[in-house]
Amino acid sequence: MTTATGTRTLSLRETGPAERGTRPEEVVIALSPAFGDPFTKTIVDVPHAEVIRQLLAGVEEQGGVARLIKVYRTADLAAIAHFGAKLSGSGIAVGILARGTTVIHQRDLARLSNLELFPQAPLLDAEVFRMIGANAAQYAQSRSPRPVPTRNDQMARPRWQAKAALLHLKEFECIDHARAAVEVEPVITRVD
Amino acid sequence: MTAVEPRPQTSEVRPSKRTEVLENRPVNLDGFVEEWPEKGLVAMESDFDPQPSVRVEDGRIVELDGRTRDRFDFMDTFIADHAIDVDTCEAAMATPSVEIARMLVDPRASRADVVALGRGLTPAKILDVVKLMNVVEIMMGIQKTRSRRTPANQAHSTSAKDNPIQVAADAAEGAVRGFAELETTLGVVRYAPLVAIGLQVGGQVGRGGVLTQCALEEATELDLGMRGITAYAETISIYGTESVFVDGDDTPWSKAFLASAYASRGIKMRFTSGTGSEVQMGNAEGRSMLYLEIRCILMAKGAGVQGLQNGSISCIGVPGAVPGGIRAVAAENLVASWMDLECASGNDQSFSHSAMRRTSRLLPQMLPGTDFVCSGYSAVPNKDNMFAGSNLDTEDYDDWNTIQRDMQVDGGLRHVREDVILQVRNKAARALQAVFAELDLPAITDEEVEAATYADSSDDYPDRDVLADLEGARSVMERGVTGLDLVKALERSGFGDVAENYLQVLRQRVSGDLLQTAAIFTGDFVPLAAINDANDYAGPGTGYRLTGERWEQLKKLRHVTSAENPEEEVV
Repeated sequence: MTTATGTRTLSLRETGPAERGTRPEEVVIALSPAFGDPFTKTIVDVPHAEVIRQLLAGVEEQGGVARLIKVYRTADLAAIAHFGAKLSGSGIAVGILARGTTVIHQRDLARLSNLELFPQAPLLDAEVFRMIGANAAQYAQSRSPRPVPTRNDQMARPRWQAKAALLHLKEFECIDHARAAVEVEPVITRVD
Repeated sequence: MTAVEPRPQTSEVRPSKRTEVLENRPVNLDGFVEEWPEKGLVAMESDFDPQPSVRVEDGRIVELDGRTRDRFDFMDTFIADHAIDVDTCEAAMATPSVEIARMLVDPRASRADVVALGRGLTPAKILDVVKLMNVVEIMMGIQKTRSRRTPANQAHSTSAKDNPIQVAADAAEGAVRGFAELETTLGVVRYAPLVAIGLQVGGQVGRGGVLTQCALEEATELDLGMRGITAYAETISIYGTESVFVDGDDTPWSKAFLASAYASRGIKMRFTSGTGSEVQMGNAEGRSMLYLEIRCILMAKGAGVQGLQNGSISCIGVPGAVPGGIRAVAAENLVASWMDLECASGNDQSFSHSAMRRTSRLLPQMLPGTDFVCSGYSAVPNKDNMFAGSNLDTEDYDDWNTIQRDMQVDGGLRHVREDVILQVRNKAARALQAVFAELDLPAITDEEVEAATYADSSDDYPDRDVLADLEGARSVMERGVTGLDLVKALERSGFGDVAENYLQVLRQRVSGDLLQTAAIFTGDFVPLAAINDANDYAGPGTGYRLTGERWEQLKKLRHVTSAENPEEEVV
């Protein structure tokens, strides 16, 4: 699964089944069925390689550790993130859809609840993904970070609503009920 | 990335200067997608929609649009058992679709006849009929089938800071400009009681008899209605597939139950639905957007509610992005009207970056007139619109008034002189100041009243102490404050005329006049509804005509040169 993303490529190398972690400060990053493959970028063309790079950098700069899993049985963001949180050693996970919609979740919350939700994927850029990673790492260390400032754009609807629906349908097509979640290792390569 | 950032250039070919000009036009900031009918990403022409059919046995519908009763989902069951007239459906279904479509257009076919025929049709048959109609024919149909004779309009009055003084002042201005209904919603939900009070008080200052609602989660919305702090309810959403309904922990029966709770207190209410919601949520079950919306319309009819807000509403970006989508949106308004429901016809959510597209999306409702041309014209600048922006906002007031004058069409608004607007804004803020003082709510300062008088947006007001306000809002709910308490507070503090207006609105719950289809109040508290102001359009020279005193009002604009003295403008 290698996809070109301009100057960086992301490939997700499977390392085995997704299992419960033991490190008390880890953040699980749970990817949706179409993340990285077949899709390569978010609804506003942020390369998935960049998304992962920024999330990992955000976790790292707060002294945290991250582990990536890929989920195949659902494309429901809340379910993906909550599943990730239950596998996370700290109980904290970041769930992300291929189009970019992201949530920070915690194991003990109800599935449809969350710590921070970023519903407007078109407004999420590299900087926001880094802040999301940083906040997730802080929650994992039982700290109380300031929530990432939310953005709002009333003209996002005319520009992106239909594309979001289309990407949602495509992601649904990638659901594979027979395939269990796997742990993946991101390989980000510069190609220039 | 924001929605107004230009598209990155993708072509390797050097573009012409003209292409550069076109690339920079606002319309190219809008999103467009190809159809995908298998998944329901298609407006109204899909090979995957069912064929019309009906079969009745022992006074019960046992087959609906190709499905036998044992294969019904709960929408089919609800529609078959509650929405379709079993006695007439087989004859109605045998009428050729083209004949029914012609009846909708032909002024010599009466509204009563075409409505009666519609009672026996299934969703697929209704779709089959409207698929034969182009946009002009759809508009002809709306002109004839809308239930109230006099068209009206509805506004959003909200605040990015949930500032109740802003909401009151903008409600007053909106009311004096002509909106028959005003609705609000919140950023911080806990602010709701104060903002709903601001909306009600401001609305009754602007024009007695304006109806207000506050869009919230269903239990709180009902609570505010029962207390008489709001006068109607609209944001009760329904969906066209069982799977989407179930996702929201609802069924047609639970929604019907909620509707009856409102009716039990004489509170006006309507459901909300619209094309695109099911595919947006990934559960269109392979049906076109319009087919699913027609199921919603029949579900609303079956539940016995008087009306429906439709016209895609918050999913307008979806039909707006596919071919023929805005035709489908016009068609859904037609079907709601034809099914004899009040139709609050959309035009209420940000739709396009292009002023031309915004206008063309509006005309199919504005020209024939609907019960509410906009089910949310933003009576605040769009940046203050907590419904996420509307197709029209305060910046468009003068354009709207000019289009009414150009076309001699009544879109429900009028130009109002500056001194009148300033007077009602100031009075609304003072009335709310007095009510807050009477109820021991956090004080409204004279500085805030002054700001409200001259403000445009929430930026123009002093910041409130939000925590104190939220505490006040909580106490309103805990103390059980009702509409009558607000009437008394207004009366005690010298706003007897506003108190009288508010009391009249509350009294109508007892008479139940607002439960009639498409009911609104005139400034004299005369209910106008399908029962006493029935649409009698029957071709040229009939139905609602913009004439007389109302037309004289609508001839006025901000700047019109006087014929008598061309050196001056008409005041």
